[in-house]
Amino acid sequence: MKKYNFLKYYVLSLVLLSTSCENMLEVKPRQSIDSATALTTSDAISGAINGVYDRLQSTNLYGRDFVAIPEALSDNGRATNKSGRLNAEFNNQAGAHFGNWGTAYIAINQVNLIIDALPSVKDMTQAAKDAAEGECKFLRALLYFDLMRAYAYDPGAEVPQYNRGGVPLMLTGVIDPSQITFPERATVKAVYDQMYKDLTDAIAKIPAARKNIVYASQGAAQALFSRIALYNKDYATAVKQSTDGLASGVGRFVDNAGYVQAWRVAQHPESMFEVIYTTPENIGVNLSLQTTYTTLVELGNRARTGGFGDLVPTANLLAALESEKEGTRVLDIRRQLYELGTAGRGTAEIECTKFLGRSGAVNLDNVPVIRFSELYFNRAEANYMLGNEADALRDLNIVRTRAGLPARTADLKGQALLDEILKQRRLEFAFEGQRWFDLKRRGQDIVKLPLTIPFTDFRILAQIPTGEINNNPKLRQNFGY
Amino acid sequence: MRKTTLLSFLLMIVSCAFVFAQDKTISGKVTSSEDGSALPGVSVTVKGTTKGVTTDGSGVYKISAPANGVLQFSFIGFTNEQVAVNNRTIVDVQLKSSDNELSEVVVTGYGGAMSKRDLTGSISKVKGQDIENAPIQSFDRALQGRAAGVQIISANGVPGGVVQVRVRGVGSISAGTTPLYIVDGVQLNSNNSSSFTSSNPLNFLNPNDIESIEVLKDAAAAAIYGSQAANGVILVTTKRGKAGKTNITFNYNTGIVEQFKQLDVLNTQEWIQVRAEALWNQARATNPAAEFRTSLTSALTSIRLSGTLTDAEIAALPTYDWQKESFKTGTSSTYGLTMQGGNDKTTFYLSGGFDRQDANLKNVDFERGTMKVTLGHKVSPKLNVDFQTNLSTATSRGQFGGPGGGSFLGAAAFSGSLMIPSNPIYNEDGSYFGTPATGGTAGILNQNIIMVTDLNTIKATINQAVSNLSATYKITKDLIFKPFVGIDYRIIKGFNYTDPRTPDAFNVRGRAQTQFDENINFITNATLNYSKEIGKNRFGGLVGVEYRSDVREGFSSQSENFPTPEFKYPSSAANPISIGGFWTGSRKNAAFANLRYEYGGKYLISAIARYDGSSRFGRNNRYALFPSISGSWIISEESFLKGSNVLNLAKLRLSYGSTGNDQIGDFPSLGLFGGGFAYNSLAGMAPTGLSNPDLKWERNVTLNLGFDLAFFNDRISLSADLFKRDSKDLLLFQPVPITSGFSSIAKNVGSMTNKGIEIEFGVVPVKTDKLTWRSDFNFTYIDNKVTKLYDGITPLATPDSIIALPGDTRFAVGYPAFSIFSFQYAGVNPATGRPIWLDANGNPTYRVQNPRDLKFFGSNQSKFYGGWTNNVSYKGFELDVLVQYDYGRREFNNQNAFLSEAGGRAFNVLQDVYDRRWQKPGDITDVPRPYNGNTELNGSGNFTGTRMLQDASYIRLKQVTLTYNLPSAWAKAIKMQNLKVYAQGFNLLTLTNWEGYDAEFINLGSGNNGVIPLSRNYIGGIQFTF
Repeated sequence: MKKYNFLKYYVLSLVLLSTSCENMLEVKPRQSIDSATALTTSDAISGAINGVYDRLQSTNLYGRDFVAIPEALSDNGRATNKSGRLNAEFNNQAGAHFGNWGTAYIAINQVNLIIDALPSVKDMTQAAKDAAEGECKFLRALLYFDLMRAYAYDPGAEVPQYNRGGVPLMLTGVIDPSQITFPERATVKAVYDQMYKDLTDAIAKIPAARKNIVYASQGAAQALFSRIALYNKDYATAVKQSTDGLASGVGRFVDNAGYVQAWRVAQHPESMFEVIYTTPENIGVNLSLQTTYTTLVELGNRARTGGFGDLVPTANLLAALESEKEGTRVLDIRRQLYELGTAGRGTAEIECTKFLGRSGAVNLDNVPVIRFSELYFNRAEANYMLGNEADALRDLNIVRTRAGLPARTADLKGQALLDEILKQRRLEFAFEGQRWFDLKRRGQDIVKLPLTIPFTDFRILAQIPTGEINNNPKLRQNFGY
Repeated sequence: MRKTTLLSFLLMIVSCAFVFAQDKTISGKVTSSEDGSALPGVSVTVKGTTKGVTTDGSGVYKISAPANGVLQFSFIGFTNEQVAVNNRTIVDVQLKSSDNELSEVVVTGYGGAMSKRDLTGSISKVKGQDIENAPIQSFDRALQGRAAGVQIISANGVPGGVVQVRVRGVGSISAGTTPLYIVDGVQLNSNNSSSFTSSNPLNFLNPNDIESIEVLKDAAAAAIYGSQAANGVILVTTKRGKAGKTNITFNYNTGIVEQFKQLDVLNTQEWIQVRAEALWNQARATNPAAEFRTSLTSALTSIRLSGTLTDAEIAALPTYDWQKESFKTGTSSTYGLTMQGGNDKTTFYLSGGFDRQDANLKNVDFERGTMKVTLGHKVSPKLNVDFQTNLSTATSRGQFGGPGGGSFLGAAAFSGSLMIPSNPIYNEDGSYFGTPATGGTAGILNQNIIMVTDLNTIKATINQAVSNLSATYKITKDLIFKPFVGIDYRIIKGFNYTDPRTPDAFNVRGRAQTQFDENINFITNATLNYSKEIGKNRFGGLVGVEYRSDVREGFSSQSENFPTPEFKYPSSAANPISIGGFWTGSRKNAAFANLRYEYGGKYLISAIARYDGSSRFGRNNRYALFPSISGSWIISEESFLKGSNVLNLAKLRLSYGSTGNDQIGDFPSLGLFGGGFAYNSLAGMAPTGLSNPDLKWERNVTLNLGFDLAFFNDRISLSADLFKRDSKDLLLFQPVPITSGFSSIAKNVGSMTNKGIEIEFGVVPVKTDKLTWRSDFNFTYIDNKVTKLYDGITPLATPDSIIALPGDTRFAVGYPAFSIFSFQYAGVNPATGRPIWLDANGNPTYRVQNPRDLKFFGSNQSKFYGGWTNNVSYKGFELDVLVQYDYGRREFNNQNAFLSEAGGRAFNVLQDVYDRRWQKPGDITDVPRPYNGNTELNGSGNFTGTRMLQDASYIRLKQVTLTYNLPSAWAKAIKMQNLKVYAQGFNLLTLTNWEGYDAEFINLGSGNNGVIPLSRNYIGGIQFTF
């Protein structure tokens, strides 16, 4: 009988196993960690901050939408219907608009969780914590700014009867179901105040030595601040932040000789903040900026078709680029960034080549978010609005001469000066995601073919996702949707 | 607490006393009543004791028993006999074969088996011999049409492909609906985790090694498996050796595999005509003076022909049949060798098999080798040890454009019919036409799909071992202890190479993706089985404990840029794009008990309770109890019916109980930070979900009422079950404001009900010495309804304010799961040729409003289904016929929608659509006029709504098998024990209104686009036994 003792031990161990030790049912995932204790170390904080930058790569932020949709909605881009993408945006169909709501709030929550966690991280110096906080606040300001540009009227350019305020302000992290709230839209002013505060903190806390343009830096924060102040029609701040940004040592001004080449290298030398994409992050043949803008795989090779070339410059934009000539020669060097694409996807079109696989693979491009030149434009416009026309003209001429255009004299003044600043701004940043917002923040109609969208049209603002309205009774949809 | 219960139960059993009487040795021979042949391996026991022997190779046994004792003889496939010794020393016995269903033995889980007569729950059984040699790779397909309450739908016609199995309807919205599969006690992991091919987790088991398949359907039958049993339990028992002479059986068959039908599509001339009409109709919508010739020119240039071709030149253009080139007739072959035998101590069954089968589509096939060993050894009269192992390796080649292999536009099953017919397939020199370097093929499908399918490699190899080791120890004559360990070990190697000569990898110079997954699924349990008979009372009890862990780990890679197409593996690539690795796992433990009591062979009652724990659930709801109770009353045993010549069985069954569904993923309750959010080549992390410590099991509560009747000595039998299955606490992802940083939280809030009727009707119309005809019919009707979703759903703005999951109208309160809400297509306005729909008020409109005009149009769940089997045997001939039917399932025919565009885009068109298109005012038809882009000015798209919603009901002549057994005298003359030849046809004939390739498919996201349809197979084979 003795030899069957193992049976006894077997049953005993099974009974013990199954009934007495609840810990046996504690199985922890191995490619994830428990959120309750996730953000307690310095490494975790760095990883979490990278996780926020990673969101910026999403196609509904800087992967595509915040670069291409402002061109499609406005008078710069024309949809070719080669893949059918951006057709609806080009036709300004109701609802065909920005869709960054979800991604932006997910990223904002990530930022908030990091800011909340920082004080209790043990293995970080106060200086390191400050730097992380500054970086987070820069990112939060950028995310809110993009939400505001898409879903709310800009200060001083509203249609009052349609105005339903800014966007909900979420400033503390949510990790547990009990922390979920049902916020209403904050006022436009409250959101701008918060962005000012965040950027002021960012400038104060990010160490000046940080100059890597793929991360937040003082210069990037100053540049973003100057743009936000311009949108806020707070021109003195815009001038100050532009000047600070120009002196920050982040990014540099590219001269005429290097201008086109600047769009042929992985990192644009003018970038003050750029979203970088590495090889595995290639957005691919459907949604990348290269496929959106061009059928070309390489310059001048019309035999090889790559992407779809869904959005090409309008005749109006090309005419503006070609408006200054010497004989038949187009003076504007920026015109050289447009060339005839292939016929591989249908009729060959003149296409924008700013995104051409600059990072060494087809469909792989870093995306400049703010370029150094913009600070001259921001300062010129702000100075003009403050009545400092001479300063405005000086900045305008810096960018005009760089583009190969003759400098203008003091004869250019008043509305004509402003118009010229805005025209050059359009030409400088065409296909970089500024045009729609520049028209919108100034309350201008969108004059385009086949039809003009007046500023009073509800389609100026994006639609808040309907699911969000259904889930949160306090949230008001934008007018018209 | 549980521990003490178990121990006291053990004590109680051990304290039972038993008595021995004076014994003498008895011997005898057991033979079959049919042909008088000796029966080896028959179990002979002395009634009321643990004593037992089995007959040897010549059917002889020797046992010691009291002179006044009773011997019990039992053998699978034969009726049990009890014979009184009556002071004899030689007791010869003839056993009758039990073709009688109700006395047949049914496996019930945890090693239990009982006669169908003693069942209180609802169990369907399919015998291994019924599915033998069918051209199927996984046994789930073999259940189709054979078991009431079990619906089988093949996802596609890929050999060894995915099959959807639903036992008694669908009972979940977001969790799994797969039944629990148990092979010889090993609970399988039925995750289908091959990334690149359609593969079935049951492919490891050679269907010819199966002895029987039992499907446990109601709570009484399945509750012993508690939290995993809500979707039903499918028990598979494989073949075992029988004591006696060693038999060697060789089996070979070969056959052909062909497509059901080809779709009739246009030639080049017709296509140019309809495309030109589509362009012209669009041009005329804004410019009534538009010329047809202009549109004809555009039509020609759009497919790279000269715009100036004359009518005569157009008429001379050739047509190429891409469909015929894509689909092809394939072959199949199967080789099997089994050896089985043993003596009264040890039995064995060894089997090796190899089979391969093509799909009906080019370059898609399946190849498998299997090996099986089953050993049984009697260590002592009290202790038996059993060991079984199944080894297999299966390699399948998948379709480009199948799962993970590119979009369906590149799938030959999709594009074969849709390619523009003017595209040649090959150049004159035999090379492929339309390579990427030459600009591809004309039309939207701009790649040469034949080249793509020839050059790309898409395959997966799954190596699997399913083994178990168990002991059966008779502690006393009434008490049996059975420890068990089992393992289901699986390796999946996936490989997907996109050739640099094909468009998808032309610009990156080739792309290789690999997958390597390992799954270790370990299970162990121990049971105590008690049975006791005291007078008219029979007691039975089972207690057990169980532990299971299931861990999956894997790696994947993607790399690009190969020197030449001959280099296919990542180490030759210049650009490693990504490497992935994952780990996931769960653990479960359980204690369970079953108590049975029977009085006088008339009244049976059974209670089951299982207490289950699982790591998958929230900390606050980690354990749950799943109880059930059932009873039956054999009315025919009552004195007023007993001995009736007409009615030989009448039995009533009733059961009620609860089971759980744990197929919700491994970590749904945890709030997690996940990796993979890298930026600038530095690792990043982000929250991936909200925690929910209250997350718990989905629960099914089933009420079952059944009766079994048998008349005229079992010549007519009828079993019917009425059931109501309430699925509660269904896991739904309830949206939260995304301003919180999350989009939803998983909550146990939904519920759903399935009500149904199952009928199994058997009749033996002819039974003579030479000719027997048996006919069985089964029928299942199911009425499914979603009864609750979560609170606070904004109703759809339709007249009846439907409450559906946001963004997913397939699930709406008061409607069946997988409902179809759509816009009613109402044909064509004869005056204009424009498509019209009916709005919410029933008025015709050119433009529907979403959601206002949405209406309910049924669901893709069948209303009823079943099968009809017939078996006719005449002398040595046997004919088996299976007819299978499925009614009421509705599906969108997505692929035919593309084929019905009538020149709206550059796809080929169905001949029928071309012939019936609207051409001039007054034409009465339901095919709108061709229109470029398929959307008329200010109209809804031509394919909006129910236009392509079709009835996927069908009746199929599923299987016809004709077997001829050589008379045993002739077989012996050529030194064989048995020789048979057989011929089989599979999917011979289908009656359906479905207009695509085949009505049987599962919508895995792209509808029937690119789905490889089922095949028709013909097989001829031979089997002989030495």
